[in-house]
Amino acid sequence: MIELRSIGVNFSGRDILKEVSITFHPGEIIGLVAPNGTGKSTLMNVIMNYLQPNSGKVRFNNELEYTTKKNEVKIHKLLSMMPDQSDLYNHLSGKQHLKLYSSMWDSNPQLIENTIAALGMESYVNKKTGTYSLGMRQRLCFAMQIVSDTQIMLMDEVMNGLDPTQVEIISQILVKKREEGKTIIIASHLLENLEKYANRIFFVKNGNLDSTEDIHRNLGVNGNMVIRVPEGTPELKQKLSVAFPELDIQLLANSVILIEFPKNESGTLENISAFLNENHEHQTFSVGKMTLSDLYSKYYH
Amino acid sequence: MWKLLKNDFLIERTNKKNMIACLIVAIFVFGFFSYTKIENSQRLIDEKASEYQSVASALTKFQTADAMDYGNGSDLYYNLLQQQRYVVNQSMAMKVDRPQLYLESGIKLAELRANAFDMEGYEKVATNLPSRTENQLDSLFYQFMDRTGMVVTQDALSFFPFLLDLFMVLGSFWFIFMSIFSCGILIEEFHHTSLIKGYPVSFDKYVLAKCASSMFWVGILIAEIFICSLPFIYFYGLGDANYPVAIFDGNFKVIPTIEYIGIALVYIILISIFTVLLSVILNVLLKNMYLTLFVQLLLFIAPSLFPSLVSLVPFNPFNYMNFTNLLNGHSLELAEPVELEMLHGLIYIGISTVLMLIGVKLFFTTGKLKKV
Amino acid sequence: MRAYFKFEFIQFLFNKKNIAIYVILLFLACFYALKIAPSYDPIEKVDRDEIEARFLTREDFLNNVVIDENSYPLTRFAAAIYPEWNEYDKQRLDALDSNRLREYAGSTYKWYEYSDYMIFRNGNGLLYYNPRYYTAGNLYATEDGHYAYMYSASRYKGYAQGDSELSMDVFEERTALQTLQRLLHGYLPIILLVCCILFTADIVLKDKRNLTVIKGFPISVWRRLVVKGGVALIGSSLTIIPLSIGFIIVAIQHGMGDLNLPVPIFSYEARAFTTITMGEYLFQNVLLMLFWFLLLISLLLLLSIQIRHEFANLVLGCVVVFAEFYYYVRGLGFVKEIQWYPSSYVQVGQIVAGYREYLNNSASLTFENGIAVMSVCTAIILLVTLIISKTKRFKYL
Repeated sequence: MIELRSIGVNFSGRDILKEVSITFHPGEIIGLVAPNGTGKSTLMNVIMNYLQPNSGKVRFNNELEYTTKKNEVKIHKLLSMMPDQSDLYNHLSGKQHLKLYSSMWDSNPQLIENTIAALGMESYVNKKTGTYSLGMRQRLCFAMQIVSDTQIMLMDEVMNGLDPTQVEIISQILVKKREEGKTIIIASHLLENLEKYANRIFFVKNGNLDSTEDIHRNLGVNGNMVIRVPEGTPELKQKLSVAFPELDIQLLANSVILIEFPKNESGTLENISAFLNENHEHQTFSVGKMTLSDLYSKYYH
Repeated sequence: MWKLLKNDFLIERTNKKNMIACLIVAIFVFGFFSYTKIENSQRLIDEKASEYQSVASALTKFQTADAMDYGNGSDLYYNLLQQQRYVVNQSMAMKVDRPQLYLESGIKLAELRANAFDMEGYEKVATNLPSRTENQLDSLFYQFMDRTGMVVTQDALSFFPFLLDLFMVLGSFWFIFMSIFSCGILIEEFHHTSLIKGYPVSFDKYVLAKCASSMFWVGILIAEIFICSLPFIYFYGLGDANYPVAIFDGNFKVIPTIEYIGIALVYIILISIFTVLLSVILNVLLKNMYLTLFVQLLLFIAPSLFPSLVSLVPFNPFNYMNFTNLLNGHSLELAEPVELEMLHGLIYIGISTVLMLIGVKLFFTTGKLKKV
Repeated sequence: MRAYFKFEFIQFLFNKKNIAIYVILLFLACFYALKIAPSYDPIEKVDRDEIEARFLTREDFLNNVVIDENSYPLTRFAAAIYPEWNEYDKQRLDALDSNRLREYAGSTYKWYEYSDYMIFRNGNGLLYYNPRYYTAGNLYATEDGHYAYMYSASRYKGYAQGDSELSMDVFEERTALQTLQRLLHGYLPIILLVCCILFTADIVLKDKRNLTVIKGFPISVWRRLVVKGGVALIGSSLTIIPLSIGFIIVAIQHGMGDLNLPVPIFSYEARAFTTITMGEYLFQNVLLMLFWFLLLISLLLLLSIQIRHEFANLVLGCVVVFAEFYYYVRGLGFVKEIQWYPSSYVQVGQIVAGYREYLNNSASLTFENGIAVMSVCTAIILLVTLIISKTKRFKYL
C-alpha cells in the first residue's frame, strides 16, 4: 500500500505537483494519464525517492517512510521501477539482465523462465541486448520488473514500441499480477488499452491528480453518449453550436467534432443526425459511449 | 562548420574536464615552483663537488704506480688528473664568486674531456664522466658565455629561468598529459550517435571542429602556465631572457632562453594537435576511452622499450614526443646513435597530423559510427 | 549484497579497460623477465678477478713497503689498514676457489663492514667506494656507497648465519624473490598504484550509462560503494597473476630464492641494519600496498560521488601518487615533517627497507608510521563518504 500525503513539488517556482494526497492499494492497477511534462514521471520519482518533494511524504504499508537511507533500502525492496530501455547493458544478454534483477530482489528464480515463456522471448533472450530492436528491449525491461517480483511496480510508458499482440500479452500479465495482489502504477498514452485493465485512472493537470470517475461526475457526463464527426471544420462547429445551444460541442485537434448528449434523450440524436446529413454531406459519423480518449480530449482541451 | 564550432564551444565551456585540467596545471606550476625553490640554492657548487668525486673514483681504477711517473702512466690517467684539477678550480671559482675563472676552467675541462673519449681504456671510466653529448653541450655553453662576456648565475627562480625549467619538465610528459586529456574526446558523443549521425556536416569537418575546440582549451592551459608564473616576477624578478641554453637540433648550438621557450611552445602545440587527432582516430577504432589511452602510452614508450626502433624508423613521430630529450641530444647516446633533428621532428609530427586528417576524411563518416 | 557483488565483479572482469590493464601488465612482466632482468648488472657482484687484482696489488705494496720515521703519512695509513683488509680478501678468494659459499659469505660480510668503516670514517678523499657509485652527475655518491656497503655487509652476515641455500644468483640478488624485492624497491609499487587508479576510476561512474537499471536496487549507496571498493581492491590484488608469469620466468632462469633469505632493513635511529626474512619483507610490502590500494580506492570513490568525472579521478589520483616527486629532495625529512603526508610512503619497498629514512634523514618514515598515516587518511575519507552518502539529500549520480 502506498499513501501519498500532500505531496508538493515545484521546479523553479512552477508547481508540478500540488498537495497530492492519495492512497494506492494492493491488487490495484493504477493508470496515470497526462500530456508530457505534467508530472507523471515526477510523481513516480517521488515515490522512488529519486526526487525529494518540497512538502509531504510517501508512506508504505502504514509504516515505512523515506526518513533514513536505511528505510529507503527497505522500501526499495518492496518497490521497483521499470528501467529505461536505453540504459540496458549492451554487452550483457537479456537473460543476464533478468538474473540480475531476480538476484537483486532475491525473488524466485523460477520466475525467470516463466516470464521468458510468457513474453515469448525465448528466441533472443540469450543474445546481447546491443542487438535488440526497440520492442525487444522494451519487453526485456518489462520482464526485468516482473522478475524482480516486488510488491509495488512503477511502469513508465510500458507499452512503448510494442505491437498490438505484445500489448495484449503484457496486459494479461498485468492482470495476473494484480490478482497476485501487486500494486501496479502505469503511466501510459495508450488510453483504450489502459481502460481495459486499470482499476482507477488518474489525469494529471495543474499539479493535481484527478480520478476519471470524479471527472465524469464533475463534468456531469456520467453515462453520456457521444457523436463523433470526422473532418469537422470551425464553421460546422459554429453551425452546430447555434443549432443545439444546449449541447456541449467540441472541435478536437484531429478535426473531429465531439457532440455530447445525455443517454436518455434519443430524440436529440435524431435531430443531430438530420442536421449533420444536411450540413456535412458524404461524411459518416459514429455514435457511441463516451470513451477515455474522449474524456481525455475534453479534459485537456 | 562555424555553427558546429560554436556548439562545441558551448558544450565544452561547461565541461568539468576542462576545469579540472586548469586546476591541475595550476597545481603543477606552483608545485614546480616549490620544488625549484628547495632544489635550487647551490646547484652549481653541488654539481662540481660530485664531479670531483666521480673523477677521483675514476682515478682509483688505475694502478697507483701510474702516478709515480707521469712519463709511463697512461694518457688517460694524466688526463683525468688534469680534469680533477679543473673541476676543483671551477668549484672554487663559484665559491669565491669569480665567474670568469669558472668559465675558463670549464672550457679547458671540456677540451680535456673531448680528448679523453678517444684514449685507450676510456670504457673503464665512461660511467664516471659526462657523455660525449653532455660534454659537447657544456663546452658550447662555456665558450658562448666566454665570448659574449655573460655572467654565470645559479638563479632559477626568476621568471625566465623558471619558465625554462618548467618547459623542460613539461617536454617530457606533455604527450602523456594530452593523452589523458583527450583520450575521451569522442566517446561521450558516441553515447548519442543518433545525434551526430544526423549532423549535416561531414565527419572530417565535425572532427576539425572538435579539435579546434580542444585546441582552444590547450591554448588556455598554456596561457595559464604563463599567468601562474607571473607572480614570481614580483618576488624574484624577470631574470635574463637571453641567458644561453645549449641544445642539439641537428647541430650543437647555443640559443637564448626565450628561443628555447619558443621552440617548446611550437612543439607543445604540434604535439597537442597530433594527440587530439590520434585520440579521435583511436576513439573511432577502439570505441573505448581507456584503450585509446593505453595505445597512446604504449606508442609513446615504445622507443624507450625498444631503442633500436629509433634508428630503424627515424621518421616515427613518437621519437620526437619527448622534446626535452630531443634537444638534449638524447638520441646520440643510444646503443645505435641517431641524429634526431629538432626541425625534422616538427616536420614528421606535422606530416603525421596531415596524414591522420586525410585518413579521417577518406575512411570515416558519421553514418558508420556505432553506438558504444 | 552478494548478488550485487557478483554483478559488479563480473562487470569488472569483462570491462575492456581492465582486461587491457592485465594484458599490458603481463606484457611488461614478460618484457622485464626476458629482457631487463637478464641484463641486470649489480654493482656489488661476485667478481673473483676484481678481488684478486686488489688483493695482489695491496699484497705487493705490503711486501715492499718499508715503514720508518721518513714514511709519507699516507703510506703509513695504507700500511696500517691494508693487512686486515687483505686478510678478508684472501679468505674470500680461498672460499670461492673451494666453492665454500657460506664461508665466502662470512668473509665478505667482514670485508664490507671493514671497507665501509675505513672509507666512510677514515677515507675522506683517499678511499672510495666502488667507482660505479660515482657516476657523472650523482651528487650523493658517497652516501649511496655507504648505504650499499652497509646493506651488503648485513646481507652477507645474514647469508653466513642463515641456513638458506646459497648460490651466485643469491649473492647477486638475481633469484626470483630477490628480483621481486628489487622491483618493490623500485617502480613496481607506483605501477601497481597507477593500475589501481585505472581500475577504480570508472567503477562508480560507469553506472551513469545504465542508471535506471541499477538505481532502484534495494541496496544503500554506502553499501554499493563498499561493494565497488571491494571489487576494485580484489581487482587490484589480481595484478599478482600477470606479474607472477614474469616471476616464474625469472625463477626458471635464476632459481626461486627462498623465503628465509635475509633482507637488510635500515633503521635511521640505530644508523644500522638488521635483517628480516624475505617472507616477512614481502608480507610487510603486501600489507602496505593493500593500505595504499584502500586509500586510493576510497579517495576515488569519494571523488566519484562528489566531482563525478572520470578525468578528475585519473588526474587527482595520479597527483596523490606522484606528489612525492615534487617535494622530495634528499635529506628533506630533516627540515620538514614529511612523514605526515601519505604520498611520502609511495615507494613501498623502500619504506619497508628503511631506505626512505636514509634518503630523507628522518627516523619517522617507518613502515608502522606508513600504516598509521594511511589508515588515518583512509578512515577520514571513508567517514566523509559515509556521511555524504547517508545525508538525506544525497543523490547517487
